[in-house]
Amino acid sequence: MVRVKTAVETETQTRSETQLARPWNVIVHDDPVTLMTYVTKVLMQVFGYAESKARTLMMEVHKTGRSIVWTGGREQAEIYAQKLQAHHLLTTLEIVDA
Amino acid sequence: MWVARVDEGWLFGDLSPRTAEILKGVPMLLESEDPRVRACLLPETLHDAGHEADWRAHAVPELERLFASRSTLVGRDLAAMRPMKGGGKMLLLITNQHASAWLAALNASRLALYCLNGLVAAHMEMDSEEPATPQQQQAIDSIHLMAEMQSVLLGDAPMESCGPMADLDV
Repeated sequence: MVRVKTAVETETQTRSETQLARPWNVIVHDDPVTLMTYVTKVLMQVFGYAESKARTLMMEVHKTGRSIVWTGGREQAEIYAQKLQAHHLLTTLEIVDA
Repeated sequence: MWVARVDEGWLFGDLSPRTAEILKGVPMLLESEDPRVRACLLPETLHDAGHEADWRAHAVPELERLFASRSTLVGRDLAAMRPMKGGGKMLLLITNQHASAWLAALNASRLALYCLNGLVAAHMEMDSEEPATPQQQQAIDSIHLMAEMQSVLLGDAPMESCGPMADLDV
Protein backbone atom coordinates (compact mmCIF):
# COMPACT_ATOMS: atom_id res chain seq x y z
CA MET A 1 0.00 0.00 0.00
CA VAL A 2 1.32 3.38 -0.93
CA ARG A 3 0.79 5.98 1.72
CA VAL A 4 0.55 9.56 0.60
CA LYS A 5 2.18 12.07 2.90
CA THR A 6 0.02 14.80 4.27
CA ALA A 7 1.07 18.41 3.90
CA VAL A 8 1.90 18.53 7.63
CA GLU A 9 4.14 15.47 7.39
CA THR A 10 5.94 16.91 4.40
CA GLU A 11 6.45 20.23 6.12
CA THR A 12 7.67 18.51 9.31
CA GLN A 13 10.10 16.36 7.35
CA THR A 14 11.39 19.34 5.39
CA ARG A 15 11.87 21.37 8.56
CA SER A 16 13.59 18.48 10.25
CA GLU A 17 15.94 17.95 7.29
CA THR A 18 16.67 21.66 7.17
CA GLN A 19 17.54 21.62 10.87
CA LEU A 20 19.81 18.63 10.34
CA ALA A 21 21.57 20.40 7.50
CA ARG A 22 22.06 23.65 9.39
CA PRO A 23 25.01 23.90 11.75
CA TRP A 24 24.56 23.73 15.49
CA ASN A 25 26.41 25.63 18.18
CA VAL A 26 27.71 23.94 21.29
CA ILE A 27 27.59 26.56 24.03
CA VAL A 28 29.24 26.45 27.43
CA HIS A 29 27.71 28.73 30.08
CA ASP A 30 29.32 30.22 33.15
CA ASP A 31 28.56 28.90 36.58
CA PRO A 32 29.82 30.29 39.88
CA VAL A 33 31.29 27.00 41.09
CA THR A 34 33.39 25.32 38.42
CA LEU A 35 37.12 26.12 38.51
CA MET A 36 38.55 27.98 35.53
CA THR A 37 41.46 25.55 35.20
CA TYR A 38 38.98 22.67 35.16
CA VAL A 39 36.99 24.24 32.29
CA THR A 40 40.23 24.69 30.32
CA LYS A 41 41.26 21.09 30.92
CA VAL A 42 37.87 19.73 29.85
CA LEU A 43 37.85 21.80 26.64
CA MET A 44 41.32 20.49 25.80
CA GLN A 45 40.29 16.94 26.55
CA VAL A 46 36.94 16.92 24.74
CA PHE A 47 37.89 18.90 21.61
CA GLY A 48 41.66 18.40 21.53
CA TYR A 49 42.13 22.17 21.60
CA ALA A 50 45.52 23.66 22.37
CA GLU A 51 45.77 25.08 25.87
CA SER A 52 45.83 28.67 24.54
CA LYS A 53 42.58 28.21 22.59
CA ALA A 54 40.89 26.39 25.46
CA ARG A 55 41.94 29.15 27.86
CA THR A 56 40.62 31.86 25.50
CA LEU A 57 37.23 30.11 25.31
CA MET A 58 37.17 29.63 29.07
CA MET A 59 37.86 33.34 29.60
CA GLU A 60 35.01 34.19 27.24
CA VAL A 61 32.70 32.01 29.33
CA HIS A 62 33.96 33.68 32.48
CA LYS A 63 33.66 37.27 31.20
CA THR A 64 30.56 37.15 29.02
CA GLY A 65 28.66 34.28 30.60
CA ARG A 66 28.86 31.96 27.59
CA SER A 67 31.00 30.87 24.70
CA ILE A 68 30.33 28.98 21.48
CA VAL A 69 32.97 26.31 21.80
CA TRP A 70 32.21 24.37 18.63
CA THR A 71 29.93 24.64 15.57
CA GLY A 72 29.03 21.88 13.15
CA GLY A 73 26.64 19.05 12.35
CA ARG A 74 23.91 18.19 14.83
CA GLU A 75 25.01 14.64 15.54
CA GLN A 76 28.57 15.63 16.42
CA ALA A 77 27.31 18.65 18.35
CA GLU A 78 25.18 16.34 20.51
CA ILE A 79 28.14 14.05 21.13
CA TYR A 80 30.24 17.00 22.27
CA ALA A 81 27.46 18.39 24.45
CA GLN A 82 27.09 15.02 26.13
CA LYS A 83 30.82 14.82 26.78
CA LEU A 84 30.86 18.32 28.27
CA GLN A 85 27.88 17.53 30.49
CA ALA A 86 29.63 14.33 31.52
CA HIS A 87 32.25 16.64 33.04
CA HIS A 88 29.49 18.85 34.47
CA LEU A 89 30.06 21.90 32.31
CA LEU A 90 26.77 23.75 31.82
CA THR A 91 26.22 23.11 28.11
CA THR A 92 23.40 23.83 25.67
CA LEU A 93 22.85 23.34 21.95
CA GLU A 94 21.28 25.75 19.50
CA ILE A 95 20.75 25.88 15.76
CA VAL A 96 22.82 28.56 14.07
CA ASP A 97 20.53 31.36 12.88
CA ALA A 98 20.14 31.41 9.10
CA MET B 1 45.18 18.45 55.40
CA TRP B 2 48.36 17.73 53.51
CA VAL B 3 48.90 16.20 50.07
CA ALA B 4 51.74 14.06 48.77
CA ARG B 5 52.27 12.73 45.29
CA VAL B 6 53.12 9.04 45.43
CA ASP B 7 53.65 6.52 42.64
CA GLU B 8 50.14 5.16 43.12
CA GLY B 9 48.36 8.53 43.02
CA TRP B 10 47.67 11.45 45.34
CA LEU B 11 47.77 10.90 49.07
CA PHE B 12 45.64 13.21 51.21
CA GLY B 13 46.59 13.06 54.88
CA ASP B 14 45.53 14.56 58.21
CA LEU B 15 41.90 14.54 57.11
CA SER B 16 39.66 15.43 60.03
CA PRO B 17 36.64 13.21 60.77
CA ARG B 18 34.45 16.04 59.43
CA THR B 19 36.44 16.20 56.15
CA ALA B 20 36.23 12.42 55.82
CA GLU B 21 32.45 12.60 56.23
CA ILE B 22 32.19 15.33 53.59
CA LEU B 23 34.15 13.21 51.11
CA LYS B 24 32.05 10.13 51.87
CA GLY B 25 29.07 12.19 50.70
CA VAL B 26 30.51 12.65 47.19
CA PRO B 27 29.11 9.41 45.67
CA MET B 28 25.68 10.12 47.17
CA LEU B 29 25.58 13.63 45.71
CA LEU B 30 26.60 12.28 42.33
CA GLU B 31 23.64 9.91 42.27
CA SER B 32 21.17 12.09 44.14
CA GLU B 33 17.56 11.91 43.02
CA ASP B 34 16.83 15.37 44.43
CA PRO B 35 15.25 17.37 41.61
CA ARG B 36 17.46 20.38 42.40
CA VAL B 37 20.59 18.27 41.95
CA ARG B 38 19.25 16.58 38.83
CA ALA B 39 18.41 19.96 37.30
CA CYS B 40 21.94 21.05 38.08
CA LEU B 41 23.77 17.96 36.80
CA LEU B 42 21.41 17.16 33.92
CA PRO B 43 20.39 20.64 32.76
CA GLU B 44 17.92 21.54 30.04
CA THR B 45 20.00 21.41 26.88
CA LEU B 46 17.79 22.38 23.94
CA HIS B 47 15.14 25.09 23.57
CA ASP B 48 12.85 23.05 21.33
CA ALA B 49 10.62 20.78 23.44
CA GLY B 50 10.80 17.93 20.92
CA HIS B 51 14.59 18.07 20.72
CA GLU B 52 14.82 18.25 24.50
CA ALA B 53 12.58 15.18 24.82
CA ASP B 54 14.90 13.30 22.42
CA TRP B 55 17.87 14.41 24.49
CA ARG B 56 16.20 13.22 27.71
CA ALA B 57 15.39 9.89 26.10
CA HIS B 58 18.82 9.17 24.64
CA ALA B 59 21.63 11.26 26.14
CA VAL B 60 20.51 11.54 29.75
CA PRO B 61 20.33 7.78 30.52
CA GLU B 62 23.93 7.41 29.29
CA LEU B 63 25.01 10.30 31.50
CA GLU B 64 23.24 8.72 34.47
CA ARG B 65 25.07 5.44 33.86
CA LEU B 66 28.36 7.33 33.66
CA PHE B 67 27.67 9.14 36.94
CA ALA B 68 26.83 5.82 38.62
CA SER B 69 30.02 4.23 37.34
CA ARG B 70 32.05 7.24 38.49
CA SER B 71 30.37 7.04 41.88
CA THR B 72 31.50 3.42 42.18
CA LEU B 73 35.13 4.28 41.35
CA VAL B 74 35.23 7.14 43.84
CA GLY B 75 33.53 4.92 46.41
CA ARG B 76 36.32 2.34 46.09
CA ASP B 77 38.97 4.88 47.06
CA LEU B 78 36.77 6.12 49.90
CA ALA B 79 36.24 2.58 51.16
CA ALA B 80 40.02 2.23 51.39
CA MET B 81 40.36 5.46 53.42
CA ARG B 82 41.99 4.56 56.74
CA PRO B 83 43.10 6.18 60.01
CA MET B 84 46.66 7.45 60.12
CA LYS B 85 49.16 5.95 62.51
CA GLY B 86 48.80 7.25 66.03
CA GLY B 87 45.73 9.42 65.70
CA GLY B 88 42.18 9.93 64.64
CA LYS B 89 43.02 11.68 61.37
CA MET B 90 42.36 9.87 58.11
CA LEU B 91 44.38 9.06 55.01
CA LEU B 92 42.92 8.90 51.51
CA LEU B 93 44.67 7.69 48.39
CA ILE B 94 43.17 8.91 45.11
CA THR B 95 44.66 6.47 42.67
CA ASN B 96 46.07 7.56 39.32
CA GLN B 97 43.44 5.44 37.57
CA HIS B 98 40.59 7.19 39.39
CA ALA B 99 41.88 10.77 39.21
CA SER B 100 39.65 11.78 36.27
CA ALA B 101 36.61 10.26 37.94
CA TRP B 102 37.43 12.17 41.13
CA LEU B 103 37.90 15.46 39.28
CA ALA B 104 34.45 15.23 37.71
CA ALA B 105 32.83 13.82 40.85
CA LEU B 106 34.19 16.67 42.97
CA ASN B 107 32.85 19.16 40.44
CA ALA B 108 29.45 17.49 40.50
CA SER B 109 29.41 17.53 44.30
CA ARG B 110 30.34 21.20 44.44
CA LEU B 111 27.54 22.05 42.01
CA ALA B 112 25.10 19.86 43.93
CA LEU B 113 25.94 21.50 47.26
CA TYR B 114 25.55 24.91 45.65
CA CYS B 115 22.08 24.03 44.34
CA LEU B 116 20.91 22.20 47.46
CA ASN B 117 21.82 25.01 49.84
CA GLY B 118 20.35 27.96 48.01
CA LEU B 119 23.74 29.60 47.52
CA VAL B 120 24.34 32.54 45.20
CA ALA B 121 27.40 33.56 43.19
CA ALA B 122 28.46 36.06 45.87
CA HIS B 123 28.84 33.20 48.37
CA MET B 124 31.56 31.71 46.17
CA GLU B 125 33.79 34.77 46.21
CA MET B 126 36.87 34.79 48.39
CA ASP B 127 36.20 36.70 51.62
CA SER B 128 32.53 36.89 50.69
CA GLU B 129 30.41 39.09 52.94
CA GLU B 130 27.18 37.58 51.66
CA PRO B 131 25.13 36.48 54.70
CA ALA B 132 25.00 32.72 55.10
CA THR B 133 23.17 30.44 57.50
CA PRO B 134 25.30 27.92 59.45
CA GLN B 135 24.16 25.20 57.03
CA GLN B 136 25.09 27.34 54.04
CA GLN B 137 28.47 28.11 55.60
CA GLN B 138 29.13 24.38 56.00
CA ALA B 139 28.26 23.88 52.33
CA ILE B 140 30.55 26.76 51.31
CA ASP B 141 33.42 25.25 53.34
CA SER B 142 32.81 21.87 51.71
CA ILE B 143 32.78 23.46 48.25
CA HIS B 144 36.11 25.18 48.95
CA LEU B 145 37.64 22.01 50.36
CA MET B 146 36.67 20.08 47.23
CA ALA B 147 38.04 22.92 45.07
CA GLU B 148 41.41 22.55 46.80
CA MET B 149 41.41 18.85 46.03
CA GLN B 150 40.43 19.51 42.41
CA SER B 151 43.23 22.02 42.13
CA VAL B 152 45.72 19.40 43.32
CA LEU B 153 44.43 16.82 40.85
CA LEU B 154 44.53 19.36 38.03
CA GLY B 155 48.22 19.86 38.72
CA ASP B 156 47.85 23.58 39.38
CA ALA B 157 50.93 23.19 41.57
CA PRO B 158 52.99 20.34 40.05
CA MET B 159 54.31 17.87 42.61
CA GLU B 160 57.16 15.38 42.40
CA SER B 161 56.42 11.82 43.44
CA CYS B 162 57.75 10.77 46.84
CA GLY B 163 57.96 7.18 45.60
CA PRO B 164 55.79 4.25 46.58
CA MET B 165 53.18 4.86 49.29
CA ALA B 166 54.62 2.01 51.34
CA ASP B 167 57.80 4.05 51.86
CA LEU B 168 55.88 6.72 53.79
CA ASP B 169 55.43 6.22 57.51
CA VAL B 170 51.76 7.15 57.66
